[in-house]
Amino acid sequence: MTQTEILAKMQTVFDDVFLDDVKVTPELSADDVEEWDSLLQISLVLGVEKAFNVRFRVGEVEATKNLGEFADLIQRRMSEGAKA
Amino acid sequence: MSSEAEVMAPGLKTVVEDVRELLARRSSDIWPALRTATRAAADFGEMLSLATLRKKAVRAGIPGGSDKTIRLAMTGGSSLYPLHELVQQTIGAQSSTGWWETELWKGDFDNYISEILDPESELYSFKPDVILILPSNQRCVYSGPMTDSQDLQRTEALRQAEDLLNLCRIAHERSGAEVIVANFLPAAEFDPGPFRVRTLGSSWNFRKLVNLELGLRAPSYIHICDAEFLATRYGAARSHDPRAWFETKQLYSSDFAVEIAREVGHIVASLHRSSKKVLALDLDNTLWGGVIGDDGMTGIEIGGTHPRGEAFKQFQLAIVALAQRGVVLAVCSKNDHKNAIEPFENHPEMVLKLKDIACFQANWEPKSENLRRIAQELNLGLDSIVFVDDNPAEIEIVKQFVPEIETIWLGPDPAAYASQLLNSRLFEPRSITDDDLRRGEQYQQQAARAQSMDAGTDMDSYLASLEMHSIISEFTPVDVPRISQLINKSNQFNVTTRRRTEAEVEALLTSPDHYAFSVRLADRFGDNGLISVVIVRIEGVTALVDTWLMSCRVLKRQMEDEVVNEIARLAKLRGCVSVIGHYIPTEKNGMVRDLFPRMGFSLIEETPELSIYQLQTEDFTPRETHIQIDRRAYDAN
Repeated sequence: MTQTEILAKMQTVFDDVFLDDVKVTPELSADDVEEWDSLLQISLVLGVEKAFNVRFRVGEVEATKNLGEFADLIQRRMSEGAKA
Repeated sequence: MSSEAEVMAPGLKTVVEDVRELLARRSSDIWPALRTATRAAADFGEMLSLATLRKKAVRAGIPGGSDKTIRLAMTGGSSLYPLHELVQQTIGAQSSTGWWETELWKGDFDNYISEILDPESELYSFKPDVILILPSNQRCVYSGPMTDSQDLQRTEALRQAEDLLNLCRIAHERSGAEVIVANFLPAAEFDPGPFRVRTLGSSWNFRKLVNLELGLRAPSYIHICDAEFLATRYGAARSHDPRAWFETKQLYSSDFAVEIAREVGHIVASLHRSSKKVLALDLDNTLWGGVIGDDGMTGIEIGGTHPRGEAFKQFQLAIVALAQRGVVLAVCSKNDHKNAIEPFENHPEMVLKLKDIACFQANWEPKSENLRRIAQELNLGLDSIVFVDDNPAEIEIVKQFVPEIETIWLGPDPAAYASQLLNSRLFEPRSITDDDLRRGEQYQQQAARAQSMDAGTDMDSYLASLEMHSIISEFTPVDVPRISQLINKSNQFNVTTRRRTEAEVEALLTSPDHYAFSVRLADRFGDNGLISVVIVRIEGVTALVDTWLMSCRVLKRQMEDEVVNEIARLAKLRGCVSVIGHYIPTEKNGMVRDLFPRMGFSLIEETPELSIYQLQTEDFTPRETHIQIDRRAYDAN
């Protein structure tokens, strides 16, 4: 999956989690969205793990700066899953 | 998978997509769809999507939602987010007509002990109906060496159980709320190996003992959310998630949190609603394999050495176990009556006998009609019946024509029938009282009384021959569970149908403004147990009958007259000049429409929603009955 494809799929997770419409872009981060607090982040990460069937390691989602980096992380974890 | 999901027929499941579409159309059909989808949701992801859709529906102002609001306080040794989303979802879906809204207060992370101990804490100013406590799992360990003496380890486990129960007690006493407390997750790591079973110092054994003591010692107002059982059923290793703990202090893995939330929803519902009373059974391919009309006595599969026969026999054994706990059995089958009863009478492998079936409807009428007839004959509401069938078409018809009736579709494999029934969760007793255990006996006594009535010539000599004795008592702590049960399930002989939680009933024990009494009735055929509940509120010189309900078992036995005698006696004692009775009509309580006038009250006001009756205590002379009152309420002897 390319970053663009991953971001498109992330959009469905965002639509499931946020009450307001949030447009997924590579530059977007939690600071840009009022509704996106540390609690909503929990739901978001769990939703992403379900949607992509991946599992992140402790602390690594927190280390990503924006959705572009988050998508790259998803991609890395997905390719691992494929190898296993 | 959830138990609710297990009993659903395929194709009946409303998926998240349907809910999304109903939201887009702003349709109020979204509420039933949300309820169905929430009950069927397979995992955390689906549950979360549904929670978001529900919030969007509320924000869009789609009507048909909130029909009850529950004030829930959550406090615990872990993050309560996003568990609270799931809990709001599972509680909401308990409604049968709309959505149960939750007003929520959440405690701070790992602050539950001080939140409960501090009388000034927000937990109490929030005034919760229900408090959910999720204690710290980490702390439930034996901190000393595994080689310590068993006595030492046992004492520590008891102390931990008592400490937690004490917190629950304080929370209950300060708030009057019902308390739900989760017990501890089973340890799921292999360490220290097989030695774990030989010491109470291992987390595995230690937590088992703490959980055991918690359950055995918990008073009735404390409801245990049995995380140990749920995790065992679900898989202990899958129930927790170390990463989620380190990152966001989640106590449960995300999917297991759904199981916990479901249990909390189920417990909250059980506080407001009673379990079902009647199990209505299909016959062919439900109680036995094959079709009795075609295959005959020698052709049907039941018991013996045949594996299918064994499965049907196991199903019958599970049914009998429910019947012994007080569930009434009925048959609803498309058959010739003569054929249908034959296995019950003559097949040696049948566990169920004709005498076990309170109402037998085998004919060629639609099942929906027969189920209505069963409700009439047993004098119970349609919503107290659960209908069981292996045929999805019959289930559909019943769902459509008598939606009040809960259904279980058994599916194609009889091996699963018994566990489907036992996992349906429709017949769970809130607490098992002695009366429940003796209900079967009471039905037999009822039959004997009916015969006695046939034999007798007139009502008066019949009543005299019953040699009735009654004990009237103010509410006592030991009666609270039975009283609450009656308050929450009696529909027919119930003048106001006012429901109360166990905590609210308990508060009446010490209320200076109420006379609250219960009535027991025994006769020469046996003890009927606690059969009537009355709550009278004193308002100056008026005594208002807030609640009066009675078990229909003892109708026309003059118990009504004795209840009025007692109300009038207490009212006079308190210096009241009149007793006011309210009748609030419902679909089911038509039988008491003229109760107050029959008892000598006069009508003073009447609207479609409420009739008000009055009795002057001055003119009142006690009504004559054949019941001997052995003790009266608020009487030291």
